[in-house]
Amino acid sequence: MLNVDFNKLASLINANVQGANATVNNAEDAKFDSSITVEASKIFAVCEFLKTNKEMPFNSLQCISGVDWVEFMEVCYMVAHFDTTAPREFILKVKVTDRVAPTVDSVVKVWAAANYQEREVYDMFGIKFNNHPDMRRILCPDDWQGWPLRKDYVAQKDYNGMAVYPDNKMNFEDREFIVRQDMIKKAQLAASSN
Amino acid sequence: MQSKWDIGEPEKPTINSETEQLKSELLTLNMGPQHPATHGVLRVEIWTDSEIVAHAIPHLGYLHRCMEKHAENLDYRGIIPFVDRLDYLASMSMEWGYVMAVEKMLGTEVPRRAELLRILTAELQRIASHLMAFGTYALDLGAFTPFLYAFEEREKILRLFEEVSGARLLYNYIWIGGVWNDWTDDQIARVSSFVDVMEQEAKKYHELVSLNKIFVERTSNVGVLTVEDCFTYGATGPVLRGSGYKWDLRKNKPYSLYSELEFDVPVGDGERGVVGDCWNRYIVRMREVVESIKIIRQVIDKLEPGPVMGKVPKIIKLPKGEVYVRSEAPRGEIGFHLVSEGNDSKTPYRLKVKSPCFTHTSMLPHMAPGQMVADFVASIGSIDIVLGEVDR
Amino acid sequence: MSTTVHESSSVKEYFKALYDGIYTTAKGMWITFRYVWAVKPASIEYPEVREVLPERARMRLFNDAQNCISCTQCAMACPVDCIYIASEKLPEGAEIKKTSNGQPIRLKLTQFTIDTSLCCYCGLCTTVCPTECLTHSHDYEFSQYTIDAMKYDYLAPDVVAWRDRIVKA
Repeated sequence: MLNVDFNKLASLINANVQGANATVNNAEDAKFDSSITVEASKIFAVCEFLKTNKEMPFNSLQCISGVDWVEFMEVCYMVAHFDTTAPREFILKVKVTDRVAPTVDSVVKVWAAANYQEREVYDMFGIKFNNHPDMRRILCPDDWQGWPLRKDYVAQKDYNGMAVYPDNKMNFEDREFIVRQDMIKKAQLAASSN
Repeated sequence: MQSKWDIGEPEKPTINSETEQLKSELLTLNMGPQHPATHGVLRVEIWTDSEIVAHAIPHLGYLHRCMEKHAENLDYRGIIPFVDRLDYLASMSMEWGYVMAVEKMLGTEVPRRAELLRILTAELQRIASHLMAFGTYALDLGAFTPFLYAFEEREKILRLFEEVSGARLLYNYIWIGGVWNDWTDDQIARVSSFVDVMEQEAKKYHELVSLNKIFVERTSNVGVLTVEDCFTYGATGPVLRGSGYKWDLRKNKPYSLYSELEFDVPVGDGERGVVGDCWNRYIVRMREVVESIKIIRQVIDKLEPGPVMGKVPKIIKLPKGEVYVRSEAPRGEIGFHLVSEGNDSKTPYRLKVKSPCFTHTSMLPHMAPGQMVADFVASIGSIDIVLGEVDR
Repeated sequence: MSTTVHESSSVKEYFKALYDGIYTTAKGMWITFRYVWAVKPASIEYPEVREVLPERARMRLFNDAQNCISCTQCAMACPVDCIYIASEKLPEGAEIKKTSNGQPIRLKLTQFTIDTSLCCYCGLCTTVCPTECLTHSHDYEFSQYTIDAMKYDYLAPDVVAWRDRIVKA
């Protein structure tokens, strides 16, 4: 967060993009970052406005990160303006409530950096981006099942014949040493008392 | 006599039908995950039209360890060894970026000597990382000598780091609230003498490699990235500075004690070739080594005895909130988006790493079309990617 | 759109490029030629010569089991969960020994296993050990043929015998 008057920016967005509903999420503590949440259906128009407006332009997208709050998922866009005289940066958020087949419009036509970043969000959370030139997994293998960074993710048992968590590397015997010792002692006691 | 092998007289094709039947198509090459010039396990699918590249499609994920998922189950101090392993050639910068994010949310005060030591180690790490970039870039282009010259100097830095932190590459040295171990006066004196030697060596590399006609011909006018390209792709660090834009987080958004130090920010100026080409990105890195030497000398003068660790609770629990902190790593701007849900939780809710090399890899499909395959190798080397950071 | 720029060339530029090529190559070769006799070799001829590691070097872990108070701080601090500790109460009326820095040992240590194939040599476990029985030794040549052999049981007599070499005083 850098050099951004949130209320002014939110009112600018609301004035220029119909239905954007930009609301400021003020952080509870001054050390933390505040952010602006907009409607998911208007994200492309908002991003275009942010890039092209003259009052508070933003010429670069640094990062897109997703967060899974269990009732809904959030996509956070870190938007920045590179200008040695007036740099600024803030976090723009979008809420996605559908967990079965979530979609959001892609902003690749506004900033080309969104290409790989949106692919990563798709790979980790399962959120598809409409009008993306190449919507497929980027970090996980192409035939991996599941969305790893969701909170309810359980890894698949095997992948193409290989065990994902092989038993001989899980060190079960070492972790349960004390349990087995107890069982051995109880068995010895039972045997000696009989 | 007609034998059974006799197929008769073959039909003679006319010239017109032969050329009409000739197909030409693009050849798919795999600049595969095992390659001496891709700086790690990067697979690039290259479609070539004879020697000229038509498309280049990078395939990532060969070093994906899902560090972001691991971080959700580890306490804040235990994440530092994982963050080390992101850009393993510049571990100090990674640790510093993450620790700044946690300290911003905790509100701890870091003692002055610890801040100065962090700057000292980060700048030494910057020199080591750029030496590695320089050595391996020359090696990619076929020059075998500068590689070992660079590694001799790098070895001195790594030995110093081993004496102070205990490890040569993955230090776990910068902790939340300060640094782990203090430096003795003898070690600081060795840094001082190393820096004097490094200045002479930097001049030697300039004469040996930077102005060499073959190197200049290989790298100038190749892989030109304009400033607009860099903005829209989100490039930072030497890639943005090589295109002529003077943006450095240490000057434009100073963190720690950088505002007290005097140094210049080198920019690609077109001394050879065109601004934004591989030669200018390379020369930005070599000039940054000289600037880092200036910073180290100033830090050594400012060092005073004192504590190296601030007051941090034994079990770190962060309140509800989020923070996005970026810092200047040798390869670009590393950003950490740290989200905490409060609720007395000892682990972060989400840790997202914005990796500069990931952003720069997305520029490869833009740089590739129209280049020869050898130029493409030079382009990959000039953006200086480390796959640990790209794949996390 | 190609990102390669092609410059125009003329006769004058041809001869200038020729001169540049010869001059810069000769300058570079003069730098490397001096290495033939004027520079000491920087290589250490391992394995005949071994480098002396600095004191803080973080190599293989060693736990001095007779000084361990089974507090399990190291197991909790480990980011990769490679330390497995089990202990039980001392029998009634048993003598309470003291560690080398004066702390009483109230639990009997029955298992102290470290899986060195998982260990990331970060040093977090040695920092939190209250009796400093868990330390980093300077052993770095311990490769094995099987992964199971990388699990070290620090209560086994052959591992305990390393104590004389590693623990000072």
